[in-house]
Amino acid sequence: MLARRTLIGAGLGLAAFAALPAQAQQTLNAYSIWPENWARPMLEAFEKQSGIKVNFLRFSSGEALARVIAEKGNPRIDVLFGGPVETFAAGVKEDVFQPHKPPAFGELAARFKDAGGMWTAIADDPLVFMTNSKFLADNKLQAPQSWNDLLHPAYKNMLQMADARTSGTAVTRIFSILEVNGRDEAKAFDFMKRMRPSIQLYTKSGGGGTLPVGLGQAGGGIFFIVDALDTKAKGYDVQISFPKEGIGTAAEGIALIKGAKNPEAGKKLIDWATSPAMQTLFAAHKINFVPAHPKVATEPSLAAVLKDAKIFPIDDAYAGPNRKRVVERWVNEILPGG
Amino acid sequence: MLWLGVGLFVLYPLAMLLLRAFLAEGQLSQGPLFAMLGERIHRQSLLNSLILATLVGGIGTALGFVFALAATRCELSAPARGALDALAFLPLISPPFTTSIAIIFSFGPRGLITHDLLGLTGTSAYGLPTTLLSEVLTYFPLAYLTLKPVLAGIDPNLEDMAASLRAGGWRIFRTVTLPLCIPGFANAFLLLFAASLADFATPLILAGSNFPVLPTQAYLQITGLFDFKGGAVLSFVLLVPAMVVYLLQRWWVARGHYVTVTGKVGPRALSRPLPTAARIPLLAVCSALAVVIAYFYALLFYASVVKAFGADHSFTLAHYRVIFTEGLKAIRDTLIIAGIGMPLGGLFGVVVGYLVTRKRFPGRHALEMTVMLNYALPGTIVGIGYLIAFNDPPIVLTGTAAIIVACYVFRYAPTGVRATIAQLQQIDPSLEEASTGMGAGSFETFRRVTLPLVLPAFFAGLGVMFVRSLTAISATIFLISIGWTLITVRILENMTELALGPAAAFSVLVVAMVFAVTGLIALLLRRLRAPGTMALAGSMGG
Repeated sequence: MLARRTLIGAGLGLAAFAALPAQAQQTLNAYSIWPENWARPMLEAFEKQSGIKVNFLRFSSGEALARVIAEKGNPRIDVLFGGPVETFAAGVKEDVFQPHKPPAFGELAARFKDAGGMWTAIADDPLVFMTNSKFLADNKLQAPQSWNDLLHPAYKNMLQMADARTSGTAVTRIFSILEVNGRDEAKAFDFMKRMRPSIQLYTKSGGGGTLPVGLGQAGGGIFFIVDALDTKAKGYDVQISFPKEGIGTAAEGIALIKGAKNPEAGKKLIDWATSPAMQTLFAAHKINFVPAHPKVATEPSLAAVLKDAKIFPIDDAYAGPNRKRVVERWVNEILPGG
Repeated sequence: MLWLGVGLFVLYPLAMLLLRAFLAEGQLSQGPLFAMLGERIHRQSLLNSLILATLVGGIGTALGFVFALAATRCELSAPARGALDALAFLPLISPPFTTSIAIIFSFGPRGLITHDLLGLTGTSAYGLPTTLLSEVLTYFPLAYLTLKPVLAGIDPNLEDMAASLRAGGWRIFRTVTLPLCIPGFANAFLLLFAASLADFATPLILAGSNFPVLPTQAYLQITGLFDFKGGAVLSFVLLVPAMVVYLLQRWWVARGHYVTVTGKVGPRALSRPLPTAARIPLLAVCSALAVVIAYFYALLFYASVVKAFGADHSFTLAHYRVIFTEGLKAIRDTLIIAGIGMPLGGLFGVVVGYLVTRKRFPGRHALEMTVMLNYALPGTIVGIGYLIAFNDPPIVLTGTAAIIVACYVFRYAPTGVRATIAQLQQIDPSLEEASTGMGAGSFETFRRVTLPLVLPAFFAGLGVMFVRSLTAISATIFLISIGWTLITVRILENMTELALGPAAAFSVLVVAMVFAVTGLIALLLRRLRAPGTMALAGSMGG
């Protein structure tokens, strides 16, 4: 008897709880692919400026995309915020976005937007090699200047980089390797196989390896510049270098979710994030993204790091349709090792 | 009604998981299973998981036994025993991967221990040894808490008899004490084996690329690729050893009772202390382990109050400011969910325990078995099952707090069920019969007679619910949503982004909150004059 009554009561309590009424204030839900320490100051500035309350949850890009796809029938969020372009291109293929062209759309370079307005870029984020200075000194090495330098025996079991199942950093890295090999998949995967003995750990998040590299527990890795410069700024003795063959840069995107429950609020966030209003905040918060908007100047010390680097954009028209297949191939061929 | 709840939140998700794993185009088939096992990484992961779980089980049981011997047979003073208990309690109430942080700092080419202290080169912080160390430290207390009552429960008369037959101390230990502990060993081993088999967070951080394990692979398969089918198949592979372990454990526990049921011991119920020669190595091992645990937690605390561990060691409270501002939502959500889950879980435990022991109805044992199922299965399976079952109509719960609460209630209330059963078995049913005989209804009797008698079990259940709500991650990580997130998930997220300061600060907060609440409950229990703390501590598995 008691059991029945309590459980019914409990059930009702839970149901009421799950269906708490929406607050009067306009709200917006987002998944952020940017780590919390980058996304939060941006979204808080937006809240202050617009009066819209932003709820967000951080996921690595693979996780965020997977969730958005899984929730397609009943979207839980309005905006996908941040994350490399290949994730957005894959999202377009999965039909999870709806178009919205913000006011900045016309001013942006072609690689910073989807022609149909499915996504728009809010920043640019090149990959870099980051190595531990003491590790280099101990092994009498220079900071790596070529992809092939990473095959040096000193790096055996000493590199950390992201896992392609969860991280967009990893997918951007794989597409970089494809590009420097002329999109010859056999050659690119052969290179990755040769690099495999050097890998100590595949991390869930793109920046996961930065601290072990900073501490010297790992010798080096391939990271987005925003994570690498942050590691350096915290005081870890690391070096940042670029391969002479070139390395990819990913436009960081934002997109409106198809079937969003708060489309107007979502559009406002997209308009704001793609404009100088947000992108001038990068420098103030010491976030080393390269602004996507042409009217926002790159912060001078960041520009100095990038000055002589050979950097090419990841082509979303190529990456989008091939992402799933390439990641699966990576899981089957590279992940298990030799 | 009870069956409805159990069916919905225990059987239904499990059934959906199996369906998803074995249904290919509307047909049952083992195709997906073979396809998964055909991939080398998954076979390798399965093997690695079994190796890891076996080692954790073996080493953890041995350490737990040493601790239990020290606690029961070394004539330690009460404060020393208290310290031993507190130390064993610490890893149990921490989020399962807190030691991983300390291990990353301590081992490897620049580790505080391997490099700075020992001057070793060419070591690695990643792989089987460090994963093993972390899991052993985290789970050995389960073995300690299982073996301590077993050792304490051995009738001293048996050993005294052996002594009067002129058997030497070592001989008594070997031929009397040890054999009596065998069911306890088996129980502890299996508990640890299952705990390791469910742990995906420690290997996620420490296993490295050359030692993939199955729970982590299933987690990445689901969260990264949203490959439900692949994840379901991998969990099924995990399910088989977990079920074997569960059934074995039930069998052993059933047999194990003969140790304590030796009748009333005489007034001189003191166990035989060990000779000094045996005590020294025992206590040395305990102290060493204690130092290691204390060192890891000190390091964790240190990491929470410096700017950037390894680079900038100036003091700061910034990380605490971060968790109390940005992390506030996670803290609030966690406490709300724990607050709802606690009374529900406590009540559920008492009610099911009461029905199973006191009422005769068909399917009684089946109910008990089923209720224990979610507790016995690795959290990854439960979480993935919930995600698959409640993501689509007819019952959509993903994204709500309800799904997390339900997960906690049906996963951790079973410890309350157990505690209630144990409590009720010591209470003569005639008390209740007297009440009914005097005309009180069955509800009235339950409320006025039985309930007060099972209060200690109820509070023990509450304690477990709270601790688990704050520390568990393996199941609930699949269930968090934009509206509801959890501290443990934040910690893991911070760890994998290597925002170590906030991760460490969150962990310190969790340990502090759990100590406060369990302390309060222990105090309440003492006022109820019931030895319930053991039931609380002893039921932290999974």
